Formats: sequence, structure tokens, C-alpha cells
Amino acid sequence: MITQPAAVRGADAELINASWTEPEAFADLFDRYSAMLYRYVSRRLGPEPAEDIVGETFLVAFSRRKSYDLSFPDARPWLFGILTKLISRHHRTEAARYRALQRVAADRDVESPADRVAAGVSAQAAGPGLASALAALPAKDRDVLLLIAWGDLTYEEAARALGIPIGTVRSRLNRGRRKVRAALGDTNPLLGEE
Amino acid sequence: MDDLKTLRDFGRQLEHEPPPTLVRQRERLLRAGASGPGRRRLGWMMAGLVAVTTALAVAVPALLVGGVDTAGVGVPAEPRPAKVTGALNVLLVGTDSQAGSERFRNGARTDTMMLVHLSADHKNVKAVSIPRDSMVKIPRCGGEPARRALINSAYDTGGMACAVKTVESLTEVRVDHTVEVDFAGFAALVDALGGVEVKLPAAVDDQAAKLRLPAGRQVLTGEQAMGYMRLRRVGDGSDIARIKRQHGVVMAMLRKAKSELTDPVKLREFLTTAARTIRTDAELDVETMIELAVVVRDTEVSIVTVPWRPHPDDPTRVQWVQPTADRLFAQLR
Repeated sequence: MITQPAAVRGADAELINASWTEPEAFADLFDRYSAMLYRYVSRRLGPEPAEDIVGETFLVAFSRRKSYDLSFPDARPWLFGILTKLISRHHRTEAARYRALQRVAADRDVESPADRVAAGVSAQAAGPGLASALAALPAKDRDVLLLIAWGDLTYEEAARALGIPIGTVRSRLNRGRRKVRAALGDTNPLLGEE
Repeated sequence: MDDLKTLRDFGRQLEHEPPPTLVRQRERLLRAGASGPGRRRLGWMMAGLVAVTTALAVAVPALLVGGVDTAGVGVPAEPRPAKVTGALNVLLVGTDSQAGSERFRNGARTDTMMLVHLSADHKNVKAVSIPRDSMVKIPRCGGEPARRALINSAYDTGGMACAVKTVESLTEVRVDHTVEVDFAGFAALVDALGGVEVKLPAAVDDQAAKLRLPAGRQVLTGEQAMGYMRLRRVGDGSDIARIKRQHGVVMAMLRKAKSELTDPVKLREFLTTAARTIRTDAELDVETMIELAVVVRDTEVSIVTVPWRPHPDDPTRVQWVQPTADRLFAQLR
């Protein structure tokens, strides 16, 4: 969805390696992934801080380019890891955003309960529940859940991004998904228990 | 029903498309790439800023003064870059010792080197700060053979003539005038202005700097201002914080200078002091100075650093990034 596989255009690792001597090469990495990262941040924090955070991510990445493990051709997990750390500085913004989404969606529900029924299992109907579930998740669980659901990373990639073992990714993801399912159950009886 | 799919759909609703302004972040990255990594880059940028404001605070009024203690630069009459009509390039060298004596030939450290360019239409001033740790080719001068060395060694061993020759050979920019600034002479300038006003977020009591100041807005004398700028153990103690303080003092000076320059009597006093703290070349005469001072007051000033990267052989030295550096200098020719 928001992912552009690197393999088709030459590995990111080659660009990063080249940027050791030609810093300009790093701009190619920006061209590849800045839009993708922007969309991801815009989901979690909204559009205002997104631009600056994306810029910061690349500046941090650039300053750490020499410690990049060149045996990983795809730099997305690395960039998402830096991005996630920067996003965590804005946890208040993120929490406020989900709370607001919860309210907006809830107001809409009150105005026209029929819409909710008509929308059925759509994400719109699920919105308030999802927003409150995300707001309630511990940051670590949320990071894993959203890297996989919104960042399209695999378990292995999420583990690399966050510098945690893959088993930890699994357990955090399971916890997160359980709460999301519970929230969806609350929002829409059709989803029920599994 | 897949909860992850619902979550993805929800995410898509929240998503925003990147605005065209995202390209600014790309430029930000390129600037970082062109001028080196992290903190150090910031340090250079801020140092450049301080130096330029210093140059303007000192050079502009000084340019107004007649009877400056001038010293011929004495650049050998070898082929030099062509003179561009209307445009003016001034090489500014900031040292940490008293300029104006023979001392600067042995041991004076060049702290700052800067090419200040006034465009032919006099609409803008571009100051290019030259990292002092630049490894460059220094042409034969001052009794020394041509060699590869740090750019500031040109001035340190061969004086201004050598600095000019080196800068001209590297940049192909004609250096029309030179100004030497002694940073220690700064205190005298502050006093000549009647002090500078700063606002301290907290009280200062620093034994090393022999400085005690209460918190809040106050006027500092020259000596206090120098002490304040040199403080290390205050705030977060970083060099960046120190440079910011220096910047604050210099900006306060510029503001003060601007308001004082309207009073002819005070102007004369200030300029007389300024004249003692700098040295210019013999050709920088009164006519040129007045011309400069008048135009510089209303022009756009921009500050850049020569694009550089850590030197491959020695990361504590820097290497200019080509062809970006050449393109920058081409704008000054």
C-alpha cells in the first residue's frame, strides 16, 4: 500500500554506502521513502508535525549512515525505527489525536445512528472504537501494531526497526490485536467474539 | 473479519498526502550533506553567523572612518582573477591576537576567514565562511613553497598577502579588499556603544569568567559582555549554547549600533574606536568605505559556509565538496 519495494531499483544499502563519500546520494533515499514516511506519520500525528518529523528522520539517518548494516539491502526498517523514536516524542499529540477522532466519530454516531448500521463493519463505524483502543494501548504495543498494520513491515522488519527480538514483536502484536478486536466488538456486535 | 484489515482501512482514512513543501526537508538534508555531520555543522553555521554579524558590526562603521591605520596588502603583481565592475569582495580574517603588529606573522591564530561579496547591483551581500580546517593547496608565498596545508596556515605564516593569494587561487574570486578583525577588540566596541542590553534567563556567578550578573534585562559593559560570551558553565553548558549567547550579544550590538549611527557625534566616537580594532588594506579608502557602508545598510545579507566534508585522510580536517564549492564561488566572480 504505502510501501515501495526497494529491490526493483537497486538496494538502499548501495545508496547508503555511496553516501559515505558522496553525501548527495542520500537524497535519493529521501526521494524513495519520504512520501511513504510522511503518510505514515500523518496517520499517527496528523499533517502538521509530519513534514518536520520526516525531515528530522532523514537528518538523523544521514548522521548515522556509517553505522548502517550494509548486509540489509532494504533501509525501510531502519528509517521506520528512527521515525518511531521521533514520533514517541510526540506521544501527547498522538493521544490527543485519537481522543479527538473518538469524539468526532462518536458525535456523528449520535447524530445519525442509522449511518452506523448502514456502514456495517466499515472502518468508519469502527473508527471511535479503534481510536480509543489505539489511545489506550501502551506505546510499545502500539508501535509494533502500527508498524505492521500501517507501515506494512513484516515481523522481522518490525523487530529490526525497534531493535527487539521477533518473539517480542509477536507478543506485543498479539496484545495489541486483542485490544483492537475487543474495541471492534464493542463498536459492532457483528464482529462478536472469535 | 480481519481486525488488521479494519485497522488498515481506518489508517487510510487518517492519511494525508505529502505536500509539495516536503521538498524543503530534502533541501535541509542536502545542506546537512554539503556541510558535514551533526553538531559540528551547526557549530560552523553559528560560528559563521557570529563572524558575519561581527564583520558587519565592525566593518560597516569602520568603512565610514577616514584615517584608518591601513596596511598595504602587497599581493604580488602576478596574474590575479579579473576585477568585476561594481561587485566588491572583501576578505575578512578574524584573529585571536592583536592585529596591527608584527605578531600576527608568528602565532596569531586565524579564527575566522570569510569572503564577503557585495553584488554588482549592490542589492545583496553574500558572506561565505571558509572553514579554518580546510585542507587546500597553498600557492608559493611568504618564502614558503607551494604545499597542501590547512588554509589558516597561509595567513599564519605569510600574513594577509598570503591569505589573499591562497583564497584567490582557490576560488578564482578577485579579493578587492581585506579586513582584519581582532575579536578581543570587541570589548572596546561594546563600550564605545555605551554597552549592550541582554536578557539573562538566570543569574550568573562564574568564578572562572569573573562574572556576577543578576537575572533579567540589563546593560553589559564591554568586559562583562566578553565574559558573558565566553561563559561555559551556564545553561546546558554546550558550545552551541555559548555560540547562541555570542550571537545574542552581537545582534544586540548591531541593534545598538544602528540606533547610535544616527547621531553624528556618537558615530564619530564609535568609529574612532572601531578604527583601532581593525586593519584594512591601503586601497580601502574613505570613498570606498562610505560607498560600502551606505549600501550595506539596506541590503539583504546571506551567510553560507563553503560546502565541505570530513577529510578522508583525517576526519578532523575538512575537504571542500566539488563541484558545489566551485559553483558557489562562481556566484562571487
